[in-house]
Amino acid sequence: MFNIFDLKKSYGKTEVLKSITMRIDDGEVICIIGPSGSGKSTFLRCLNLLEEPTGGQIYYNGTILDNTLDSKRLRREVGMVFQKFNLFPMFTVLKNVMYAPMHVKHTGKKEAEKIARNLLEKVGLGNKAAAYPAQLSGGQQQRVAIARALAMQPKMLLFDEPTSALDPELVNEVLNVMKNLRKEGMSMVVVTHEMGFARDVSDRVVFMDKGFIVEEGRPAEIFNHPKQERTQQFLNRVLGGVSYE
Amino acid sequence: MNNLLSQLHFATAAEYLVPSLIHGIGVVLEATFFGFILATIIGIFIAIGRLFGWKIVKAFLYVFLEVIRGTPLLVQLVYIYYVVPLIINLFAAMLGYKTDVQIDPLVAGIAGLAINYGCYMSEVIRAGIVAVDKGQMEAALVLGFGRYEALFRIIMPQALRSIIPSLGNYLVMMIKDTSLLAYVAVNELLLRTQTFASQTFYTIEAYTYLALFYLILSVPLSHCIKFIEYKLSSSNR
Repeated sequence: MFNIFDLKKSYGKTEVLKSITMRIDDGEVICIIGPSGSGKSTFLRCLNLLEEPTGGQIYYNGTILDNTLDSKRLRREVGMVFQKFNLFPMFTVLKNVMYAPMHVKHTGKKEAEKIARNLLEKVGLGNKAAAYPAQLSGGQQQRVAIARALAMQPKMLLFDEPTSALDPELVNEVLNVMKNLRKEGMSMVVVTHEMGFARDVSDRVVFMDKGFIVEEGRPAEIFNHPKQERTQQFLNRVLGGVSYE
Repeated sequence: MNNLLSQLHFATAAEYLVPSLIHGIGVVLEATFFGFILATIIGIFIAIGRLFGWKIVKAFLYVFLEVIRGTPLLVQLVYIYYVVPLIINLFAAMLGYKTDVQIDPLVAGIAGLAINYGCYMSEVIRAGIVAVDKGQMEAALVLGFGRYEALFRIIMPQALRSIIPSLGNYLVMMIKDTSLLAYVAVNELLLRTQTFASQTFYTIEAYTYLALFYLILSVPLSHCIKFIEYKLSSSNR
């Protein structure tokens, strides 16, 4: 789906992404891990042009992403879920999910409501349709956000640290929804600190540091036999000093 | 003392002035209604222009705001009513046409109020837009909305909600500032009172009634706004 060559992004003189080259295939689930400030989120946000790259090329299904491209089109096919949910506070849960299909795709109201109710059922919140976001827990809000993204029937979903703003006991309800999506064959790129999820659910794990991809591979390789010293250090730290050598 | 008070003729003054003032309220409400709606629209566009416009638009709006905020409303009203038609006629004459453009007093008054208040309100609206979480715009963008669609559908409703109380204060101020329209020949409350007082010499009575009429207009309105503010802050979000 995506082919990325030598992608660069800097803010003024600060280089956040120095050179990223990778491909993302249809149906793949990729987890991007790495320390804070390594450029993971920036990379993800370049994929749907929330950030404009300052160098290199991104091809989406063979089309180069540049300023001539209709980014609205791209974003309909590549949805995104944020760390802080970003639900629309003035709308009910149902309207949050229905809103974009109705006003972007011009789906009829009945049809949009049907899709929305199905999706809410799917994320386990069928009974919360009439509630407002502020009345929900973080985990519930994030599940609504996933339903909202799915309502546009995207081909791929980007997750930007979807569980980082959640209380620990709410993390699993969100991860379970994501696991189900995987079973249905949804392509996903997930920036996460949930190493368990990365190890068990992803097809490929990408370890980023300081604006580069340090190492990528199957989860078993990365977690059990990391080749790079930097990867080992990072994993040792986040996995509580357990050595995998 | 008693003798002096007996020289006041509130009843007689009321008989002739109050019906006239009641007619004047219509003019005040008309000027405020259209003035405020236009001011809000102008304010929204100035705010958006200053936040998202091209550099040249931003620069132009900056200068425009400085000019409007650096001159008194009364001067602006006089300028629109007396000077603008003269300028138009002058330009027309330069192009070889003979014109006699005049602006209706009420139209000039409404235009002046709208432009002046629009500039002040734009700052409040701008602050309200900036205060909406950045994630709201991003959420709308990733769902496929365009920037301006997102602004009007998602951002503005949230921004307006937080700025309605301050806009309400501008509404009350505008009702009182319609008294300035007397100077561009709008037959509103002040002008009616002046005319009446100069004809009858019931000066004390006339201006006391005038003040009362403004109180009757503005006090209930400002309480309404407080009520709306309370309702907004206690409703869910």
